[in-house]
Amino acid sequence: MRFLRWLMLGLVVCASAAQADLPDYQAFPADGERLLLWAAPERGRAEPELQAARLLAGRGVSVWSLDAVSAYFLPQLPSSMDALPAQDMADWLRAALGSGKQVAVYAVSRAAVPVLRGAALLQPAERQRLCMLLMYPNLYTVAEALSEPDYLNVGDLSGLRVRVLQPRRSAATPWLPGQLDHLARLGATPSHVILENLREGYWVRETPTEFEIAESRRMDTMLLRELEAWGCQ
Amino acid sequence: MKRLLMLCAMGLGLAGAVQAAGFETRAATPAPALKALDLKGATRTLADYRGKVVVLNFWASWCPPCLREMPSMERLRVKMARRPLAVVALDSAETREEVDAFLSRMTLGFPILLDPDGSNTKRWKVFALPTTFLLDAEGRVRHVLTGPTEWDEGEALVLIESLLAEVSTR
Repeated sequence: MRFLRWLMLGLVVCASAAQADLPDYQAFPADGERLLLWAAPERGRAEPELQAARLLAGRGVSVWSLDAVSAYFLPQLPSSMDALPAQDMADWLRAALGSGKQVAVYAVSRAAVPVLRGAALLQPAERQRLCMLLMYPNLYTVAEALSEPDYLNVGDLSGLRVRVLQPRRSAATPWLPGQLDHLARLGATPSHVILENLREGYWVRETPTEFEIAESRRMDTMLLRELEAWGCQ
Repeated sequence: MKRLLMLCAMGLGLAGAVQAAGFETRAATPAPALKALDLKGATRTLADYRGKVVVLNFWASWCPPCLREMPSMERLRVKMARRPLAVVALDSAETREEVDAFLSRMTLGFPILLDPDGSNTKRWKVFALPTTFLLDAEGRVRHVLTGPTEWDEGEALVLIESLLAEVSTR
C-alpha cells in the first residue's frame, strides 16, 4: 500500500514536471541575431542535421534542435507528430521570440504539423515575427490513390510567412500547389523553392547520389541561402 | 491513418527490402483518362489496351522501390506473352533524358510512357511511388497497390489471373 502511494506520488510529480517544461531541445548557441528552431522529422534527428546545426552556429546562427519523438518518448511515426501538445510548441516558439533574436523555424516532413499548430496558438503580432521553412511538409489527413487529397486544419495562420522547400525528386512535387493553396487558405503567406536533383530525406538516404552527399554537407548553406533569398528578417 | 503512414514511408523510400503486397480492391470504377507519349513519340491512351487486362505502374527513376520491382514486371510480361495482358509503366514527372538514362541500365520490353508535367499523375491521384493499378479488360480500376511487390508471383499474380479469367469467360 505504501509502495502504491509513493508510486502515485512519483507519477504526479513526473507528470507535473513534464507539463511545466518546454520540449527538450539541443541548443547550439551563437552570437548572431538569428535563431533557428529546427524540428526534426518523425524518424528522429540524424547526424547530418546536427552537423548542419553546428555549422550554422559557427556562422553566427543560434540553433535549437528539437527531436520531438525522442523528447516525448513517442514511436517514430508520423502520427506521433500529430500527438504533440500544440501548447508546448507554442510555448517553445514564445520562448524563442523572447530571446530578442530574429526567429525562423525549420521543420521537416510531418514535423510541420506541430510547429504550425503551435504558431496558430500565438497572438497575430507574435506570428508575424516568425518565418517558417517547411521541408517537404506532410499536411495530409488522407492521400489515397484516385481520391482528392484532404488536408489538416492546423488553425489560423494569418500573418505567418511560410516557405516550402520541395525536393524535385519526390512524389509530392506534383501536389505542391495544393499544399501551398491549403496554407494560404489558413491565412499564411506561402512561397516555395524546388530543390533540384534531390530526394526527400536526401541526407539519410541508404544509397545517396554524389550530389545528395554533397548537399547533405551543405545543408547549413542551403538554409542560410533560403532565409536570405526569402528576405526573412 | 494506416494509409497516411504508408504514404510517408513510401515517400522516403527507405525500405530496404521489397515489402509484402497489400492490394486494395476497388468497386470496378471507370479509370481516369490516360494520355501520354511513349518513347517513340506516339500518343497512348487506355483505348489502346482495351480488351486486355492492364497493369499500369506509376514510377520514377529516382525511386529505389520502383526500380526493384521492375525486373518482376518484365518477367510477368514474358510469362504472359500469349495472354491478353498489357504491362504499362508511366514515368511520373521526369524528363525524357532522366528516363533514357535509366533505360540504358535496364532492358524492359513493356511500354514506357512519359508524364513530364505530372498531369497523368495528378489525374490518377498518385501520391506515392510506386503506385500500380490493375485494370480489367473493360478499362475499370479493380485493384490498387501503393508500394512495390514481386509481380510474377504471390498475391499480384493471383489477382492478375483472376482478371484474366474474366476475359476468357466473356
